[in-house]
Amino acid sequence: MRSAARETWIVERWSRGSSPLHSLDARAKLAALAVYLLAIASTSAWTQAAVAGYAVILSAALAASRLPVPALLARAALILPFSATFALITWLSGDATRALALVEKSFLSGLAVLVVIAATPLTDLARALEAFRVPRSLVLVIQFLYRYLFVVADQAHRMRMAAACRQGIRRNARPRFHAAAGAVGVLFARSWERADGIYRAMAARGFHGTFPALAPTRFRTVDGVFLCGFALAALAVRLML
Amino acid sequence: MHIPDGFLTTPVWATLDAIAIPAVAWTARRAQSELESPDDRRIPLLGVMGAFVFAAQMINFPVGLGTSGHLVGGTLLAITLGPAAAVVVMTAILILQALIFQDGGLVVLGANVLNMAVVGVLAGYLPYRLAGRGKARSAAIFLGGFCSVAASASLALAELLVSGVPMARQLLWFSAGLFLVSGVIEGAITAAATRAIEGMNPLWIREARPARPVTIAVAVLGAAGLLAAGIAVASSAPDALQALLPGSKNAGIPEGRLTKIVLGLAAMILLYAACVIAGRRIARQRSA
Repeated sequence: MRSAARETWIVERWSRGSSPLHSLDARAKLAALAVYLLAIASTSAWTQAAVAGYAVILSAALAASRLPVPALLARAALILPFSATFALITWLSGDATRALALVEKSFLSGLAVLVVIAATPLTDLARALEAFRVPRSLVLVIQFLYRYLFVVADQAHRMRMAAACRQGIRRNARPRFHAAAGAVGVLFARSWERADGIYRAMAARGFHGTFPALAPTRFRTVDGVFLCGFALAALAVRLML
Repeated sequence: MHIPDGFLTTPVWATLDAIAIPAVAWTARRAQSELESPDDRRIPLLGVMGAFVFAAQMINFPVGLGTSGHLVGGTLLAITLGPAAAVVVMTAILILQALIFQDGGLVVLGANVLNMAVVGVLAGYLPYRLAGRGKARSAAIFLGGFCSVAASASLALAELLVSGVPMARQLLWFSAGLFLVSGVIEGAITAAATRAIEGMNPLWIREARPARPVTIAVAVLGAAGLLAAGIAVASSAPDALQALLPGSKNAGIPEGRLTKIVLGLAAMILLYAACVIAGRRIARQRSA
């Protein structure tokens, strides 16, 4: 649990860096990502040439992001347990090319999402989502969720430590089950009260349903050039290889 | 069960995205109009409760044999925040998981949202809605947790099967058993957690209102979705379906896809009618 929080924090720190990819408009990055993912997802005749093409496009973006490549690759590999299980099943039933395609497609898609997320702060991302007409309440819920994820997870961690200190190691599962249910209940109560406090504090500071932007975002020529180039490259691979 | 990108074929993910986007947009608007006051008082609450579900998923519940399970949370959210808000919160969780935790793909987000946020929450809420008042209350909460997990897991499996991910018969049986067990675990955890929450403040659990036509409409939609999934699975993997129906080979039913579909339809309609009649009777008893 601790490690999950820390890993998330790494993405947050990456997203605050500076690089050509970081400085692009979030809308351009999201649209380019969408084209890239759709190109991969709609490829039915999956060849190794196409894999190479998509990998080249992605590594260009990776180079432009100046992020630590081994760490990014390791994080994207979190997908592999799931896809490898299904790939193994496919392979055992005699379809080796399809098995390979499953692993490659899921890994490339996951890595592409990770590169964009690691190069875009969540506030910019949320504003881009709103620009793409995602319902405002959903975007707000995502932002609040992200902001309080660590706080509530830390609280859960502290509660678990405290419970372990008090009850020691009991062999019997039944009382431990009830203790865990009680912990969920207490966590629920504290989250609910915390939300009340947050709302009052924010209302006192003039919150009326939108987060004001510190600086207006402009869609510059660079963003347009990036979007067109990236999308055209992905489409070229999709249609030609 | 988060499906990553690359597992579903284009027609499958395109259809599911096309269903999920208007569904979420509609629920988000409904959740917004359900706010008690004109301001956004409940928005921070929804966000923090999403964080709560994330954190609660990290609390281990011992379930015997040295293994442990954890809360999934769709049903618990539905009976505390209401179904529309619960759908929005679960969708937000799934989007964050896809973006930051590499849990589930973005192109297949529609499929994951439909499985876990829409069907998972509604299937979890329906038993509570129908029988959440009176004696059968805790049974309804347990059943809600069970249905929520079982429905979303079998939908995900059906989508994978339709996309042509091959699966042997034994494996299908194994995963069906796995879904049953995880459904029972979710039901037990949801019931125990609900009791603990209720002990602190009964107002946190929403009272189940008597069934209205909306509930029946939702039930129709759910049944239709399951029907579509069933037909798709039946037409793409007839062997698998046959394996799930014990004794179907000796029953003397003539072969043929059309017959199979008609039979499936008839069974579904019968089952659905039984559910509606039972639900109405229970609702009448509660309100009387």
